[in-house]
Parts: sequence; structure tokens; C-alpha cells
Amino acid sequence: MRKHLILGAALLSATLPFFGLFRNSTFAQSRGTDIAVVVNADTPVTDLSLAEVRKVFLGDRQYWNAKLPVVLLMRAPATRERGVVLRVIYQMSEEQYKQYWVAKVYRSEVTGAPKVVYSDDMQYELVSAMPGAIATVDGRNVHPGVKIVRVDGMLPGERGYPLR
Amino acid sequence: MRRSLFFIAAMLFTASFARGQDAPATDQTEQIKALLARVELLEKQVAELKATRVASVGQAAPPAEATVNPPSAAQPPSGQTAQMPEHSGQLPQETMQQLETHYPSLQIRGFADADFSATDEKGANSGFNLGQFDLHIASALSPKIRYFAEITVNAHPQDYTIEMERSFIRYDYNDLFKISFGRFHTPIGYWNTAFHHGAWLQTTIDRPFQVKVGGTFTPLHFVGALAEGNIPSGGLGLGYNIGLGNGRGSLIARPGDAGDVNNNRAWVAKLFARPAKAYGLEVGSSFYRDKITLPVGAEYREWISSTYLVWTKGAPEFLAEFENVNHRNIFTSQVANSDAWYAQLAYRLPWFERSLKPYYRFEYTHMPLSEQVFAYQPQIESLAGLRYDISSFAAFKLEYRHFASHPAQGPNPAQPAANGAFVQTAFTF
Repeated sequence: MRKHLILGAALLSATLPFFGLFRNSTFAQSRGTDIAVVVNADTPVTDLSLAEVRKVFLGDRQYWNAKLPVVLLMRAPATRERGVVLRVIYQMSEEQYKQYWVAKVYRSEVTGAPKVVYSDDMQYELVSAMPGAIATVDGRNVHPGVKIVRVDGMLPGERGYPLR
Repeated sequence: MRRSLFFIAAMLFTASFARGQDAPATDQTEQIKALLARVELLEKQVAELKATRVASVGQAAPPAEATVNPPSAAQPPSGQTAQMPEHSGQLPQETMQQLETHYPSLQIRGFADADFSATDEKGANSGFNLGQFDLHIASALSPKIRYFAEITVNAHPQDYTIEMERSFIRYDYNDLFKISFGRFHTPIGYWNTAFHHGAWLQTTIDRPFQVKVGGTFTPLHFVGALAEGNIPSGGLGLGYNIGLGNGRGSLIARPGDAGDVNNNRAWVAKLFARPAKAYGLEVGSSFYRDKITLPVGAEYREWISSTYLVWTKGAPEFLAEFENVNHRNIFTSQVANSDAWYAQLAYRLPWFERSLKPYYRFEYTHMPLSEQVFAYQPQIESLAGLRYDISSFAAFKLEYRHFASHPAQGPNPAQPAANGAFVQTAFTF
């Protein structure tokens, strides 16, 4: 028992300094324009808290209502929208994000990862066309045909808006 | 032991070399960025051309309102194919075809691992062994009906065995109520339903004793019906699982796949919370009730209670579970309480693209001499290791374990302490 405690304590003491040292650098990325959360115009939602947005993007909320499933759209890797979503909503790296969805599918909680879209135009067209679709777009230039969701009661550009 | 250490060093060198093969990832990211920028540029040019064309024929451009309503979009039909609405004809045909969901839509994913172990345990040989080969099949049958299956191939000294680990159909009504029928992993505690059989999914090489594959402490599988969903609870993030099934078979490590061994159904209930304000935290408790009928005819009431607390964000990752198994002999009323718990701490280091994760786990299993259902196997184990994610879907793990001794108790001889070094490469494909 003593050996176990010594081994555990040694490992903990070796690891603990990293907790404080790198807490702030883990997701240190440059901040810029706000990212808007947009949904298909027929989706019965206008205002979500950041926690609710997270629940949707994590696949823990899969239905807007009993008849309307959530359709998650994610921008391709290396885009700004995806970077903000990973940093603020998922709080994961690109690899952790991939691993998260493999595990989620494997746990039978979902049948697949979010659909990947490769361009802004494609994303707008899909959100406009697909009932229940939700996506993130550049907040400076939101196209017609979609509905912007307030996050924590705020729209992109407003002070304190969390997705930037 | 020295040869084993040399081998492990060689494995680590190989791993670092293999990681080196991944170096062009940065170049690929740059290329993707450049391609995406080009796509954006081309889209802008197309938009400008369209605008010019519209202006030339004297038509007004659409209003630039951000929240305008598009043409109404119909719900996807619950038939064979979820078609895109008619008005989305502006999307390229290929894109439309790719995004349509066809039913049934079959997806297959696999997990496998290869291991090396060397211990100073008396009578144990060092060497390689093949881990479980695990196939996971998921198929959406309609927008709300899905089928899942998991099949493993397991290596044994004489042959391989094929095992149906999970096979169930699920109907989703909404987030609050989903019901499944078939064979599941029993929702007792956290590990058994979070990591299932793929070694790549878990941080460590092996599972804790209480949920070990082929073990008896926890009934890992459950044949019957299972309801699950979220509970409207605001920021508390409550969820539940409630199941009714056959319970343990006459071989208590197995569920009654081909029928129950008695007329008593087992039930399981689990309640958990994922608080919105503490993203990454999950706490839960579960209860399981069954009647065990052993081949010798003895019958026991089994009552399993379990509680857990996990923090899964990786920096740090913390898992802790406690489980109590109560057995009461129906004929003699003799009671035995066996306990097992573990605590595991890991931390994803910020270097090397956050691919390194050192970890430590302590686990403890207590079994009284009055226990009649389980074979006597108390455990105290400490393990420490390093997980190295060589890519997004493959990992190397290096682990040291110390199995503690326990003194002689009744007819059970003392078990000497042992140490071991273990290496695993686990991946998903």
C-alpha cells in the first residue's frame, strides 16, 4: 500500500506543475471577428446559452423537437470558424475533436460525426435548405436565408459575445 | 527484465520515428488553408459575376438582411430517403447526392491492438499478444431508428473466439426518450459504457479489475430493453438509463443471451449529471438488481450500487468509480459485500501537438471470505504509464504495474507482489 502511495504521489507531484503553467496557453490563439451561430429559418430556436450551443455541438442535444432532428454542419479544418468552435465550444484540439466523435459514434450515441462543409457558400445553401441545420459563419457578413441565433442573449458584434 | 526494458526502449524509438513520418501534417495544413482561401476567392468571383449579370438584366439584388426568412423548408420524410427540399436546386448535384441520407446507411469502424508484456510474476512468460479485434457496425434505418452491433474476435491459446458484444435496435422519440432492444453494455458506473472494447478509446492499456473483459465483478452485458434520455433540468444536465433484462446467466460472466436462467428479470437504473457550468464533469450513480441461479442450484439476490465522478477534458483527465456488490444467499440468508474502486489521473501535456499523456491509476478490490458467488480475488494495483498519440487514430502506450500482495486468508494462500512492464499499440480504422 505504501509503495502505491509513494508512486502515486511522485507522479502527481511531477504532473501538477503543468496544471497551472499551461492552463492559459492550452488554447492560446489569436482572437478576431465574431462567429455567428446560424440555423435554418424554420428551426424553432432564436436564443441559446453558450452551454446549450455546446450541448448541440457535442451531440448531446439531437432534436430541436420530436419531429425535427439537429443537423450539425462544421467547416473544414484550418478555417477560422472551425478554430473558434473548437476553442470556445468544444475546448478541444483538432485531434481531440476527431477522437471525440469516433468515441461518440462507438458509444452508439450518434450515427455519425457532423457533416463537413468546405466553403461559405455551400454552408449557407445547406443551412437554408436543410431543416434543423445549424452552422457557424463569419459574423460580419451573414447572408440572407438563415436565422442568426443569439448566444447568451447577444448577437455577433455586441460586447461580451462569447464566440470570437 | 533487462531484455524487456531494452525491447521497450526499441519500441519507443520506433514510435518516435513513426511520429516523425507524420511531420508533413503542418505542410498539409498549409495546403488546406491555401486551397480553402482559393475556394473563398473563387466563390467571391462567382458572386461578383452573378451580381454583374443581375445588374445587367436590370434586376434588384436580394436584400442583405441577416435574419430574413427563406422559402419554407419541409420536414424530411420518414420514408426511405431524406431528400433535400426542392428549392435547394442551386446546390451542385454531386453535393446534393452526398448530403442525402440513404436508408439503411451502413457504417463500419474497427478497433485493434497489439501488446507486449513482461512481469516478474512466478510462472508468467513475457511476450507479445494480440488484443481484441473489434468491429462496430452502425446503420440508420430511418431518421429515428438505428441499429448498432459490436463483434469481437479474441485470441486464445488454442483458437479464436467470436463474440457478439452488442446488438440492438434503437428508436429515438426525442432527446428525452430513446428505447432500445437487444444486447447492450450494462449501464453500471462509467467505464463500462464509455470505453466499451476498443483499447484505443481508453487512456490506459487495460481496464480496471471491476470491469475487466471476461470478469465477473460487474455484469458487463445486459440482454433486454433499455430506455434512456435527458431529463429537463436546466444547467444540471441530468440524464438517465433504465433497463429490464435477463440478468446474469448460469455462467455469471455472461448474460442470458439465449434465455434467462430463472423467471426473475434483472433491472438497472442509472442517473447522471453533466453540469453546464462545469463542462467536462460528469457524476452519476447506478443500481442493479438481479437473482442469480448458479449451475449447482444455489440462488442469490444480487444488489449492485455504483457511483462515479469523472472529468474528461484531458488536461487533466480524472476518473473515479466505486462499486459495491451485495450477495444474499436465498436459502441461508448469508450476506457478502464486495467492494471495488479505482481512481485514475491523466494529463495531456502541451508539447508535441499535445500527443503525450502521462497517467496513474490506483485500484483496490475487496472480497470477504463469505463471498460465495465470485472466486476469491482481492486486488491492489498501482499503474503508471504514458500514452503517445502517434496520429489522430493510433496510439502507443507504455505502462508499469505493481500488483500488491495480500496476506493468506482462510483457505486462500498469500499472493506475492509482482511488477510488470507493458506496451501496447492501439488504433481505430
